[in-house]
Amino acid sequence: MTPGSIADAAWNSGAFQGLELIQDSLQVQISHVEARTPGEQEEALRAYARQGYALIFGHGFEFQGAAERVSAEFPLAIFIITSGEQLRGNVAPMIFRLGEATYLAGLVAGGVTRSNVIGFVGGIELPPIREAADAWFAGARASNPRVTTRSTYLNTFDDVAAGREAAVALLRAGADILTHNADQAALGLFQAVKEAPSVYVFGANLDQTDLAPERVLGSAVIDLPRAFLAVAREVQSGTFTPHVESFGLASGVVRYEPNPALLHLLSSDIQARVSAARDSIIANDRAP
Amino acid sequence: METEITAFMASAVRVATPLLLAALGETVAERGGVINLGIEGAMLAGALGAAIGASAGGPWAGVAAAVVAGLVVGALFALVAVVAGAEQIIAGTATTLGCIGLTGVIYRHHYGPGGVGLTLPTFPATAIPGFSALPILGPLFRQSILTYAAFLLAPALWWLLWRTRWGLRLRAAGEAGLQARTRGVPVRRVRTEGVLLGAALAGLAGASLVLGQVGTFAERMTAGRGFIAIAIVALGGWNPLRVLPAALFFGAALALQYVLQAAVPAVPYQVVLILPYLLTLLVLTTAAGRAKAPADLGRRAASVEGD
Repeated sequence: MTPGSIADAAWNSGAFQGLELIQDSLQVQISHVEARTPGEQEEALRAYARQGYALIFGHGFEFQGAAERVSAEFPLAIFIITSGEQLRGNVAPMIFRLGEATYLAGLVAGGVTRSNVIGFVGGIELPPIREAADAWFAGARASNPRVTTRSTYLNTFDDVAAGREAAVALLRAGADILTHNADQAALGLFQAVKEAPSVYVFGANLDQTDLAPERVLGSAVIDLPRAFLAVAREVQSGTFTPHVESFGLASGVVRYEPNPALLHLLSSDIQARVSAARDSIIANDRAP
Repeated sequence: METEITAFMASAVRVATPLLLAALGETVAERGGVINLGIEGAMLAGALGAAIGASAGGPWAGVAAAVVAGLVVGALFALVAVVAGAEQIIAGTATTLGCIGLTGVIYRHHYGPGGVGLTLPTFPATAIPGFSALPILGPLFRQSILTYAAFLLAPALWWLLWRTRWGLRLRAAGEAGLQARTRGVPVRRVRTEGVLLGAALAGLAGASLVLGQVGTFAERMTAGRGFIAIAIVALGGWNPLRVLPAALFFGAALALQYVLQAAVPAVPYQVVLILPYLLTLLVLTTAAGRAKAPADLGRRAASVEGD
């Protein structure tokens, strides 16, 4: 179940790829629905559980409450809430510490910016989105103490034109590096970046280099297919016990994928800082 | 400071263009007595038509495809709400919901399910010599061709509604359908024509969103603009010449959200995001209280035609 269109080239596309990977690898029946409102989400969860689906992914923080309400009626089903909050019976969260990757992207942003202003565009201010943005800002300040940060929320993940206008306004306010966590609405941000000279952007959730190959410095990636398949394997073999599954850089599920074509924009000092920070995060299994 | 203001004005005009086109179209439909909540869907269909047309044959092909898509949706709505005389609000809502689903299906079928981030050929901003160099007002004259079209359409539609025989018959059908029919006005026909013209403009509004603003398509990208356009019609007192400033007002309020968030980080973004809607309520309670809707707006064709 996704909270938005699977054609967003981001968060929801990744989940659908995960579902398809499960089908291909494990030869099981899959199904997907888009459920946007709390009412739809609860009904969709209930419908899947009633139809006997063994493993149900509620793809996003927004599904936590509905899954907790529905789960008691269906003790045999397993509900995985991506970016979920807490473990409750058969409702298990799958947490992605995207901030570990956006921190690395922030180090790059701090090193590349010339105006010393960087901007973030968010869809809705959900806790996981806030955390990843804060980590990006922290990374930028770590590599460049003079950086000023700006953030804009759209209150929608769909409105591409809003994403574009928000990006244009940030660029007007002096930002020359942008990032986002706005799913489909971010498509407008990439358009705005492509139209402005010498400004750069980071991708979020999927490797989004293809959206603007000459402007995307890198992407903070969640390898949703890999994480989904791992859980589905355990459920199929009967070894799954509900637990908090948390993925950071060390797991390989959360990654920072630089765009090799733009690595020349980074000083060797910044490149060294990024790999040192990556090693340290992996060694400690947490962000600095 | 002046550059901040000009940038904001350019953004406001860009944001206002699709709203203006859709609101002008809806003004025509409502003058004929038909409230079409399906324009949100017609706009979305226009946006997808523009994307498919532009990727096949450039921006003008996109415009043509968008108008055709809007007309198809308008024809469907007119068939149900005017010809068959169904409840307009329900028919319009169903039209919009159907379009949201159908455009998603067609988009995924056409471009693959994964989402592609289309980059489409767009209309560049065209400067009007002389005017575009004006201080402050300059950005109004550095816009896409669709924006100029929208601005020129406002007086053209006013002329159509108040200075032509067709306009008189349409307004008669909207104010007093029964009397108009007894005087020989083919009420259903002129209402259908009004709906079709309105839906074609909604399709054009979708094209301006895709080809004049963002250069890409995404599912549900109209994001309620059709409904905002309906509010603009009321705010503009069902008069194209007043709909124009009303649309600009909305465009400015919406653009202000992003300018304020980017430039004045101290203001909580929640406050900024409420602004357009607060302003709307404020204006509706003051200015628009004076405007009067067409008397037969929303009434079924059957009840005004007496058959």
